[in-house]
Amino acid sequence: MTDAASEGREGRLQAEDPWESLLRSANAGDARAFARFLVAVTPTIQGIVRARAHLLTREDRDDLVQEILIAIHLKRRSWQPDRPLRPWLHAVIRYKIIDALRRRSRQAQSRHLPIEDLDESLFCEDPADPSVPLDLDRILARIDERSAFIIRASALDGQQAADIGEQLALAEGTVRVLLHRALRKLSDLVQRTLP
Amino acid sequence: MTDRHHPRPRHDGTESGLEGLVLRLAIAEPPPPFRPVRIALIMLLGATAAGAVHLTWAGPRPDLGASLLDPVTLAKPALPLILLIFALTATLRLSRPEGQIRPWPLALVGLAALGLVLGSLAGLSAPEILPAVLGSTLRRYLVSIVGLALLPLAVGLGLLRRGAPTRPALTGGLAGMAAGAAAAAGYALSCTEDSPLFFVTWYGGAILVVAALGALAGFRMLRW
Repeated sequence: MTDAASEGREGRLQAEDPWESLLRSANAGDARAFARFLVAVTPTIQGIVRARAHLLTREDRDDLVQEILIAIHLKRRSWQPDRPLRPWLHAVIRYKIIDALRRRSRQAQSRHLPIEDLDESLFCEDPADPSVPLDLDRILARIDERSAFIIRASALDGQQAADIGEQLALAEGTVRVLLHRALRKLSDLVQRTLP
Repeated sequence: MTDRHHPRPRHDGTESGLEGLVLRLAIAEPPPPFRPVRIALIMLLGATAAGAVHLTWAGPRPDLGASLLDPVTLAKPALPLILLIFALTATLRLSRPEGQIRPWPLALVGLAALGLVLGSLAGLSAPEILPAVLGSTLRRYLVSIVGLALLPLAVGLGLLRRGAPTRPALTGGLAGMAAGAAAAAGYALSCTEDSPLFFVTWYGGAILVVAALGALAGFRMLRW
């Protein structure tokens, strides 16, 4: 995070959050404001879902985004208009992501997925600029899923190799090797796409 | 929850599917307002009504005024009342997605109850302990307190469905604890068994039974 970027974020925090006024109008019965609100938050939801629910298939992730939008609609009156919106929004998104991952792990009984272990990594109080994971996602979508996951976990979330290994059931050393290879793949890719 | 509030996702996974969903959600009827304080008041009203029915039927203890002057017998209605306040506040906090609670107020009530038990144990010899714990009205107790708590608990859980607790079992359990504590406080006004060994054990037991019922029901009813 550069100084300019963090300054930008602080500036945004001081101003009235435009999402808050949209949802406030929406809860007062303004359908147009609610549509604008949903359109505005969708990329953020997609970014978080892609970053946090990477174990799901693409179709499941698309469904999950829709389920989150529906949950936001159903539970929108539980947001208090005099409170900041972001903690509410992120709690709703996190709950639905955990719910979806649990449901999936129940469906796939053969592969047990201990959601409790992921719980901490599934949520961060202060999510990074949502456009960063979006751009990174575009590049990461071009390498295999496991490498992408490792890069995300180490570079984006700052997790230790041991922790990543635990989530993937791999040894710490293996994770380091895989991370090294993944980064090389990524730099090859970027160099090839450069003019 | 009716269907007009509850559009289903479409499974074509395209951008237009998403746009269609946004439009359908925008024109869908807004959900009913969520007012946790009102839920708390309704639960308290239900508990008061149940308590009033009980007192009409069983009658207050004859020495009610005098019993409230002794700290140990005062604790019998007072501790459940304090527990009621803490548990109800915690329930309301957890009824919103971003809600967080601290466990120490509940632990404090537990410690106070434990202190009462230890204090009365100190004054008893070993063969006196078991009769003191069992008392003489045990069965009526458990049935009454759990029974008195069911109405406010059911009403409270039904209304909490409008909220969005991200920990449904814990939220339901705390609602049950609040309902059980309210019932115990009401029951204490008619009950004449004043040994802390008796009332901490069985009031506590009854409250925990209601809390467990609430947790089970919450796990099923409060998910969204």
